[in-house]
Amino acid sequence: MISNLEYRINFIVDALIQPCITTVVEIVLWMAIFRGAGTDMIGGFTREYYLAYALWATFVARISTSWLYEFRMIEEVEQGTINSLLVRPLSFYEYYLSQMLGYKFVTTIFSLWIPIVVGIYLDLPVHLDRLPIIFLLIGYYLFLVHSMSFLISTFAFYLNKVNYFTSTKNLALWLLTGELFPIDLMPEAWRDFVLSLPFVSGVYLPIGYLTGRIGFGVFIQGFQTVTLGLIIVNVMGYLLWAQGLKKYSGTGA
Amino acid sequence: MGAPIILKSFWTETKKNFSLLVGLFKASFISDLEFRFNFATRIITDIFWYLAQVVTFEVLFLHTPIIGHWNINQTRVFLGVLFIIDALYMTFLADNLDKFSEKVRRGELDLLLMKPVNSQFMVSFQRVATASLGNLIIALMWMTYALYQLPDLHPLRIFWLIVLIPVGFSTLYVVRFCFSVVSLIFVRGENIQFIWFQLYKLGMRPDSIYFPWLRYIVLTILPVGLIASVPARAILDPPNWPLFLWAFASVPIFIWFSNRFWKYCLSKYNSASS
Repeated sequence: MISNLEYRINFIVDALIQPCITTVVEIVLWMAIFRGAGTDMIGGFTREYYLAYALWATFVARISTSWLYEFRMIEEVEQGTINSLLVRPLSFYEYYLSQMLGYKFVTTIFSLWIPIVVGIYLDLPVHLDRLPIIFLLIGYYLFLVHSMSFLISTFAFYLNKVNYFTSTKNLALWLLTGELFPIDLMPEAWRDFVLSLPFVSGVYLPIGYLTGRIGFGVFIQGFQTVTLGLIIVNVMGYLLWAQGLKKYSGTGA
Repeated sequence: MGAPIILKSFWTETKKNFSLLVGLFKASFISDLEFRFNFATRIITDIFWYLAQVVTFEVLFLHTPIIGHWNINQTRVFLGVLFIIDALYMTFLADNLDKFSEKVRRGELDLLLMKPVNSQFMVSFQRVATASLGNLIIALMWMTYALYQLPDLHPLRIFWLIVLIPVGFSTLYVVRFCFSVVSLIFVRGENIQFIWFQLYKLGMRPDSIYFPWLRYIVLTILPVGLIASVPARAILDPPNWPLFLWAFASVPIFIWFSNRFWKYCLSKYNSASS
């Protein structure tokens, strides 16, 4: 937490400026969509439901996406500088998990007021009493996010320029989490498929539940799919890491 | 007497930079061939980006006939313009400007500053991502498809499109460059780079969706609206001469500004390797 506060400009940008800009962009887009549609309702929900979704989705997506720490993990493996971490009592996985969770915690606390204030100001339909349980799912999903980062960083034992995997994965998640638009707007066959994946726990399920788009029954399925995702990703990550360490030669750092 | 000398020196400088760019392209291509797998991964990454943009609008248009003042066919053309300019950006600039802060941190910038060429040119174009030329082909294919869907395509408007795409590319360069070189002042400013991506998002949507005050901002002070919206307007809407004039005039103004800003940031730079 202290190390995050060291770089204050970075922190202010991440915790305050970025969410404000993203909020404006998304809200303006949805307002334009409703203006163009010339209707009060799309897919059975009013404009306010979409504004509430856009507002909170952009906020939550920033928490449930990992760029910086994943790049750092890849860099460590790629450049052979994980020696110092290997001799610590904490594993590479745990070290970066603690770093990432600490950072997410601090930025969340500092920027949480933005969607709350904007939501109240615009009188959007948000069940603020559901915040604790949606943060529980988001927190749980973060373990999956980190496990995916760990898995991708293990590719660096075998390949170069693994950064592209991070970009590809995060771009795919852009769609699959529901950050770009609510999953229920997709054609039915696509929607059912995407809902069966764990990634919807990153944005759509928590925000759908928070804004009243989905019920508790659908929301709670997120814990099951994330658990399944965690098992699959961690088994793959463990195997690749163990194999990779055999090939690894440190730089003496 | 002064004007011809200035023109001659501008021409000599341009010729020199162009031949240097050709040399850098060749060197980058040879280096890229060493890692052929990266060719594929890079193109696949960008295909996902294209898909995200296309799917977003295709899904939204399932529920509304118009966004801003364009229908789905017109929005596809807008996306085509965006993809072409983005492919040019990914080819010539992304590897240099996206990793600029890393170069500063590692002290690699000092080596570039010592070279006997224009330093702004060198930091902007040193590395050409030849793999991204594949993206340009994909973008052109999408654009052809999108134009084919338009019921009343006027050939003269294609001329305007071709002329305005370099304008959009130059604008993208200037804004991205200014965000990158801020790293000379804030050495560990990764998140400042993320602001760029948020602002770029404003340019990834047709400017007609914005409120008048926001549209004014994205066409002037933070000119991300000039990147794709203005070239797309050239082909989709009746000519807006004042806007086109501003788009052309803005290029030398913004490039001059970026050069001043570069020099200012350099004056604040403390070499990382010293």
